[in-house]
This record gives sequence, C-alpha cells and structure tokens, in this order.
Amino acid sequence: MTAAATFFPLQNGETVLLPERLADLTGLGEFGVAGELLAAFIAAFIVANIMLAMTGVAGPWAKRKITASFTDRIAVNHLGPGGILIIVADSVRLLSKENIIPENADRPAYDLAPIVIAGSALLGFAVIPMGSGIHLADPEVGLAFVFAVAGIASIGLVMAGYASGNKYSMLGGLRAVAQNIAYEIPLVVTGMSVVLFAGSLQMGTIVEAQAEPLVTIAGVTIPSWFALVNPFAFVLFLIANFAEVGRNPFDMPEAPAELIAGYQTEYSSVYFVLVYLGEFLHIFLGGAIIATIFLGGPAGPGPAELGIVWFIIKIWGVFFLTQWLRSAIPRVRIDHLIEIGWKGLLVLAFANLFLTAAIVGVIA
Amino acid sequence: MSTGVEETPDVEREAELEELLGDRVLARETHLNAPGVVVNPGDVQDVLFTLRDEAGYDHCSCVTAQQYEDRYETIYHLKKFADPTDEVSVVVPTPLDAPVSQSAEPVYRTADWHEREAYDLVGIQYDDHPDLRRILLPETWQGHPLSGDYDQDKPQVVTLSEHANPLLPDHRDSEGDTMFLNVGPHHPATHGVLHVKTVLDGETVVDAEPDIGYLHRCEEQMCQQGTYRHQIMPYPDRWDYVSSGLLNEWAYARAIEDLADVEVPEYAQVIRTMGAELCRIASHMLALGTFALDVYGEFTATFMYTFRDREIIQDILEDLTGQRMMFNYFRVGGVAWDLPEPREEFFAQTRDFLDELPAKVDEYNDLITTNEIFQLRCVDTGVLEPDVAKQYGCTGPVARGSGVDYDLRRDDPYGYYPELEWDVVTEGGCDNYSRVLVRMQEVEESAKIVEQCLDILESWPEDERDIQANVPRTLKPDADTEVYRAVEAAKGELGIYMRSDGTDKPARFKIRSPCFSNLQALGEMTEGEYIPDLVASLGSLDIVLGEVDR
Repeated sequence: MTAAATFFPLQNGETVLLPERLADLTGLGEFGVAGELLAAFIAAFIVANIMLAMTGVAGPWAKRKITASFTDRIAVNHLGPGGILIIVADSVRLLSKENIIPENADRPAYDLAPIVIAGSALLGFAVIPMGSGIHLADPEVGLAFVFAVAGIASIGLVMAGYASGNKYSMLGGLRAVAQNIAYEIPLVVTGMSVVLFAGSLQMGTIVEAQAEPLVTIAGVTIPSWFALVNPFAFVLFLIANFAEVGRNPFDMPEAPAELIAGYQTEYSSVYFVLVYLGEFLHIFLGGAIIATIFLGGPAGPGPAELGIVWFIIKIWGVFFLTQWLRSAIPRVRIDHLIEIGWKGLLVLAFANLFLTAAIVGVIA
Repeated sequence: MSTGVEETPDVEREAELEELLGDRVLARETHLNAPGVVVNPGDVQDVLFTLRDEAGYDHCSCVTAQQYEDRYETIYHLKKFADPTDEVSVVVPTPLDAPVSQSAEPVYRTADWHEREAYDLVGIQYDDHPDLRRILLPETWQGHPLSGDYDQDKPQVVTLSEHANPLLPDHRDSEGDTMFLNVGPHHPATHGVLHVKTVLDGETVVDAEPDIGYLHRCEEQMCQQGTYRHQIMPYPDRWDYVSSGLLNEWAYARAIEDLADVEVPEYAQVIRTMGAELCRIASHMLALGTFALDVYGEFTATFMYTFRDREIIQDILEDLTGQRMMFNYFRVGGVAWDLPEPREEFFAQTRDFLDELPAKVDEYNDLITTNEIFQLRCVDTGVLEPDVAKQYGCTGPVARGSGVDYDLRRDDPYGYYPELEWDVVTEGGCDNYSRVLVRMQEVEESAKIVEQCLDILESWPEDERDIQANVPRTLKPDADTEVYRAVEAAKGELGIYMRSDGTDKPARFKIRSPCFSNLQALGEMTEGEYIPDLVASLGSLDIVLGEVDR
C-alpha cells in the first residue's frame, strides 16, 4: 500500500460507539438498561485503562528517557530492557510511601483535590474518538463538554493550593487560577474556529470533516486536517493548551525553582500519585483534543483498524513536544504570562475566529 | 615584597593621610599591604567619611575584628575601586571592659554585615549600627567564640525563637496585605542552605533579607589552629567548594607569601595561573548552569551541558592536582608538583578542551542569551547600580556586570597575569543579563590565559622548572606583622587578613569572602520585583554558602 492510501473516515459515517458494540458482542444488550449500563461501564473501564497505562509509561519512564536524550544522559537503564521495568519499581515505591498529611491541611478539600485533578482529565476522554471503534460517547456538544470537564481541574488546583496550608501551595494555586482564566478563553475561542469549519460540536463530525481531501499532489492525497487548513489556529491552540495544562514554558503553578512545585508541595504517596497522574492525563487530554480537532483524530494511512495506533502516535507527539519545551525553553514570569494571555493570545484568538468566520462565510 | 619602587608612594600616601586626618590619628601602624592609622572609637564615621569623600577610598573591602591581651581592635581595610593597590587600614582599638565603637555602616553599607559578624564572633559593639544582631550564629548563642574569655565547653542550648513575629509592626493586623514567606533554608533555588526572609505583596517582593550562618564551620578558627606551612592550605578549597579550589588557595598563598616574604618561582606562577583560570572556567560553568536552572525551571538541557563541560575541566584538574574538588595543590612558595607526565598528553588534553570551547560558548549563546524569553526574564531585573554595588562592596562578575571595572588580576597584579594578554570584561547593563554575559565572556578570557600559559609551559627549559621556592620547614613570621591580601577568585575579591604573633600559627585569620559582600546586596536588587526575579537575582549573584558562612 502506498502513502497515497486513502484516509478512512471514522467507521464510514456510521458511528458505532464502544458501549453499543460491547453490548452487542457480549449479548449484554438483551438485559435492557442494566445490561447497557454494564456494557458502558466496561467500555469506560477499557478507555480509562488505556489512558492510565499510557500515563504509567509516560510518567516514570518515557519522561525520564526523553529528557535524558535532550540532555546527553542515559537515564533509567537497569530494570528490564531500556529500564522499562522502572515503572513497576516506581509504582511500588510511590504507593508504599507514608501519606503525610500536614497539620494545617483543610481536610475534605485536601483529600478531594487529587481526585478532582485526576478525575476531571479522565472524564474528558469519554467523548474523544480514539479510532478502531474506541469511542465512549459522541454527544452533540462533545467539544464543549471536553473543555468544560478539563476546566474542572482548575478547581482541583485551587483546592490543593489553599487546603495544603502552605504559602507556596497557596501561591501556586493562585497562579493556577490566574493562568487558567487567562488561557481558557483563547483556547475555547480558537477551538470555536474549528467548529466553524466542521459546522458541529460533535467530535465524530469534526473528525469526519477532516477526512475530506484538501489537495492531491503527485498522487498523494493530503486530507483537510484543520492544522493544515488553518495552521494559525493550530499554533494558537497549541500555545494556549500548554498554558492550560501548565507545561513549560508556562509551568507557573508548579515552578519548582520558585514555588517548590506549588500546589503539589504537600502531597505525598498515593495523593501525589493522583496529582501526578492528573497532570499527565491533562497533557494527554490536551494532546487528544489537539489530535481530534486539528490532526484528523485517529485518521492515518492504512486500514481503519489502525486508528488507535495513529491516535496514540499523535497524542504522544504532543507529549514529546511538552518534554522538548521543558528541556529547552525558560519559564516566563507570572506577569508576562498573564500579559501574553490577555493581550496577546486572546486578541489573536478572536482575530482568528472572525477571519475564519469570514472565510467560511465567503466559501459557503 | 617591599622594594624601593613601592616605598616612595607609601611615604607620600602617609603624608597625605596625615594632612587629611590631622590629629584624629592617634598613632600609626604599618601593615604589610598598607599604612594603618589608629583612631578613636568615637571618630570612626568622621575619619571614614573623610577618607571616602576626600581621599577616594570608596571600597571597604573587609572589616576585621580581633582581641588582644589588652584591647579589642576593629580594622577597616579600605581600598579604591580605581586603584586597589592604594590601601589604608583604619585601626580602631576599644578597651576590654567596654568594647564599643562607632559603626561604619553610614559610610559603607557593606560594613553592616561585616560589623554584625565582628559583634557575633568577637563581641565588639557598634554604636549607631542599624541592626546589630548575630549573623552567623543563632540568636540564642551565649558568648562570642573568637573572644578571649569564651568557654567552648559550655553547652549551648539553641532554641528557635518560634514565636518571633517576622511581620512588620504595621502589618500585623488582619488589614495587612503582605505575606511573610520563608524562602529556604531548604529551597531548590537558594543554592545551599540560605534562608531569605521575604515579605510579599501579592507576588511582589516588598522586602528580602538573607539570613545566613547555616553552613558556618568555624573556618577562621580552624585556620588559626593550623600551622602556616602546611596545615592551612587544605581549608581554602572548602570555602567556595564548587570547583574554585585553586583560586581560593591562591588567596592564602598570596597572603602567607607576603607575610613570610617568600618569592615564588616564575614557573610555579605560570602553573598556578593556568590552574586558577581552569578553576574559574569550571566555576563559571556551574554558575551558568545553575542560573539556567533557576530561570528555566526544574530541568534544562543547559544545566547538563554546562556540567558536561565542567566535567572535562575537572578531569584536567584531577590530572594536574590529583583531586577533583579539594585540590590542596598550592604550597607556600609554589605548587605541590609539576605537570603530570607525559606532559604532551596533558597539553593535548587541555588544548582539545580549549579548541572545543568556542563552539560550546556559541551553543550556550544559542540556548540562553539569545533566547527571547530568557532576555525578557533577565534584562532589567535584579538591577544593581554601580554606586550601590560599590557601597555594598560587591566585586567580581557581580560588580563587573554593573559596569564597575575592577579586577584584581589586572589592578593589583599577582601571579603571571601581568605578562599575559587578556581583557577585563565589563557590561553596563547592571541587571541579571549583564552578569550572565560577563561570566560567559570571562570563560573565553580565561581560556585565552590558559592557552598562553600552556604555550609558556611547553617551551619552558627542562632544567629550570622550579615548582617551589626554598621555604623553611617551619614558618614563624615576626610577631605583630599584619597583612591583608586579596586575589580575584571566581566570585570576586577573596581576601585574607593574617596577624602573626611570632609562633608558627596565625594569631588572627580573617577571610573576606566575596559572596558574603555580594549577597548583602540581594535586598536592594529585588525589592519591588517579583518572586521569579528574586530567584533569578539570587542565581545571578552566584553565591556559595560555604564561602558566605565560612
């Protein structure tokens, strides 16, 4: 098969969601609502485990390996091939540590924050079409839903920040709010320009809209991924996304050199794992949104069954980019960050939206 | 060292001083480095103001305090930034039963910390001092360790004054909108155990006061218990312990060689110069890497790259001295041994490093200094005006980053520096960015020096390789000889004051640490700026707590 291979739109227009397929396969559908619920639960379990497994690989192992290759080092290499078994060792280590809860912690909030941080990110994957039929739900407001649940994480960060009873955490929490407010709006506004192209908030439709061929050069058909149709919006979205998930150069809420990891400072053991998981899930969720609305979702050369592979490659690409920036770019200062958000990105995002609207209007 | 050439200006200078100070001079003393004037404890500010404003002694390099059998004594070692060889020591004796002297703080800001240290360790009180508290020891410490009647067997009960309210009195009510934040002593950006008491208004620093002493190891006391000949030299390596060892050793070597009148063979001076400049490169690499760490975040490629390059120097120095960090390579009157055999291999290895260095410096420029976010972070932050820098006695790259053209290697020549071609780097930006630029250019200048030293060493006739002068087995300088000598260490002017009492151990050994003086300016640099600037400024000062606390 050549590179000119056709890009398969997701399930050829007819969306079969994972819970339905499971219900059919296992015969659970025959048990009515209860059966469907169970099927949906199993499907959610599968999706959550895919994401958690990826986070597990990314956190203890890939992050170290990637950073090491940027900085001329080797990193983990003792346990298993390429040190991959460090994942097991680290899991045991992290889970077996004492969970130290500071005296001044505001208990219910302190305990809830890690769950909110990790849970909100996980919720977002419910509407992401991952290809190969792995798609939990496809509501009409899919994109709005994903932005909404990702935004819940800010509440988690604030809770963690103030409930820790630590001034550094407090500062980190405050920074997180300021940053999220400043960047969520450009993020959503830029996302809206994609909606104008696709004409729908539904994730499935957005992905399908990108399957149309854009141009054909020498027999190679280039699909109309929105990253190619509107690269400006893509770059804007990428930047806003890094700020939204708090990665370098916008890792202000953590800023280890200044705030000693900010809102995370007081978390240990399982709580720390949850916060850390949440962070990685957020990077991946950001990657998933970018892949879905700009990079054609699970589309790629080869049969449609390979969709999940392409999807994972795309979100890992975004993850790789975050690690690259982490090694190479200085952190911006908090006041600059807010300025970039309100005076730069917001204006550009609206300019992009109006231009897109005008262009789409003219073509239509 | 005193030759006929030097004596004429000395005589002139003393005449000038006499005319200037008139009958405020109680007596005259002669220190090996400078004329000394003895003044009344009540005349200190008056005399110092005169010396600063009329004679141009604008650099209070060091304040030494000590106790004699019959009196306490404070010595202000004054210099000129324009000409550091023009020195004068102002000696202020105070009686044993009432050791009270006027503070020099209104004249030289830097005297603030120096006098606090004198009070802390020796026990002299300074009138008119804005904040005479202990500085190195805990506030609850009993007694003054370097004073005569100190009982070191007495157990110290050190309690934390837990309920001390660090907030300003007008900020204690709930209306107050500032927050007190302890930055350190365990904080990733404090480069060791430094504690900065910070008052914040939002993210803006209202007040930053460094609290030091966590790494105080009685280095002065330990040096006072060692013999001049061999037992002191290992200690300097442990002051600024991040690969500046040879530079520090040179400070002691220079002081003792003046005190004991030892002439160092030229060949040894070339080796010293080369070793010292290699140390400077290593030290500046580390400064650059950790600064990048402070500005970039948790982990950055720059940090690892600087460590990679520093590692090569460390290998070269290990070949030269036998040690990676704690070299103990200098000896009184020379160095411990000649270059490692085979010499060709050592030369080739060092030249390889120097050949690769320009490309690496370019890489750093690509990575750091030309990065726009980096410039945004560093340009016009941590501003230290030249006048302020001088007032605080800042030296080294910190002063040169503020446009103060002051480098002891050129202005108070020693070693083989006068024979070599190199430039003193200054930048006029006065900000964090300038200090980074100064360090990066100094790396290149140091490389030039090392290269020339290699050429000289290579062509040195084999039968004239004298690595040590003929120094007696036991050094006993004449009693009551005093000397204060400084060298240009990686962080600035590293000075040592020694007074001999006729034995083989110094009666007083005082270290003038450049980091100590530089760190004092932190508050001035960061007030009104943001927390990230505080971290960046601290990083750009490039302090090593081992040297601050000694």
